[in-house]
Amino acid sequence: MAEIVFAAGIPHAPAVVGLFDKAPDEARAVVAATFGAVGRALRAARPDVVLVFANDHLTNSRITAYPDFIIGHAAAHAGPHEWFKEWIGCRDWALPGDPEVARTLFKGLTKRGFRMNAEAGPLKFDDNLSVPTVMTELDSTTIRVVPILQNCTVPPFPDGARCYALGQAVARCIAEDMPAGLRVALIGSGGLSHEPGGARYYKIDEEFDQLFLKLASEPDHAAFMREITIPRMEQAGLGGTAEVLSWFIVMGAIGQRRGESFGYTGWPSFRCGIGGVVWDMAKEAA
Amino acid sequence: MSWEAYDPSLAAHDLVQDLKWDPALRALFKQNEAAVLDRYPTMLPAERRAIEQRDFRALYDLGMHPYLGGQLSRFIWGNDAGGGAIEASNRLVASLTGSTASIPEKP
Repeated sequence: MAEIVFAAGIPHAPAVVGLFDKAPDEARAVVAATFGAVGRALRAARPDVVLVFANDHLTNSRITAYPDFIIGHAAAHAGPHEWFKEWIGCRDWALPGDPEVARTLFKGLTKRGFRMNAEAGPLKFDDNLSVPTVMTELDSTTIRVVPILQNCTVPPFPDGARCYALGQAVARCIAEDMPAGLRVALIGSGGLSHEPGGARYYKIDEEFDQLFLKLASEPDHAAFMREITIPRMEQAGLGGTAEVLSWFIVMGAIGQRRGESFGYTGWPSFRCGIGGVVWDMAKEAA
Repeated sequence: MSWEAYDPSLAAHDLVQDLKWDPALRALFKQNEAAVLDRYPTMLPAERRAIEQRDFRALYDLGMHPYLGGQLSRFIWGNDAGGGAIEASNRLVASLTGSTASIPEKP
């Protein structure tokens, strides 16, 4: 059986790259501490492959035929997609894929009752994978990546309970279907509060974000699921905050564990609350 | 905001996807916006008028998805992180709210 050796949740707001130099010191410090800690912990865990769950942001499919989950099967991934380069303001990156793990995941999740979609060719990536990659310098490692792009923004989308259950199925797939000795990392990429393209584009809900980070870091998932509902996410920012559903998948996969976060900033020009969590995989889940 | 008005059938959604995926169409949109809009025969007259008048409030009330609305604003006003994209989000928010009160002075 394969093993989950690392799990984290991080935001992917493009402005943490593009406006980093214009941000006040305290906001820059949180960004640097968060992505720095995630990058170091990821390397220390020595994973062979990382599964990154992230909002697709309507980047790969039309709104009239929109999949809830797409697993990237390609042997290599690259980004950002052309139109997003200047918007994010980041360098080009390339990552090795893992077609075998992608295929095992696709088969295993389908078998366990989850409608997934497989993309054999190149997926288009925007900030969803670009920001975590460049901010943790993931592309300077040899870790293989399987992206799982998720619908967090085209209603109706899979809710917290469904995403958590998907995470539990991901864990079973890793434990039962993937080869012994394979070291797997999980990253949920999305959030915190934001309303991209909406009337509250510059509004950040710090109260929601602080509660979310606190509950995500505690080994009491019943409390987390009770408080972090879709209506509360939408209240904190329509069409963007629900990206935290990517964290639900990771939390479902690892079970109730304590996590560490590295500060929080709600600087308005980031147009997104910023904070992350690395969960403790060394101890057994509660 | 809420999803109350959201209408996935709006042709403006396809317009944004096509602009995003096709640099040549993007260039044409800059040169001759009307010629690009003409390619969407199912676009409602009110939807086209809202795009032409940069009236995002009207467009969202017709059912535009806000994420794609934000991208439309970047095709119009600019897409680069430190300049045009800030202009685009400022103008978008001003159109949606009728106010500049929530827009940060910097950067």
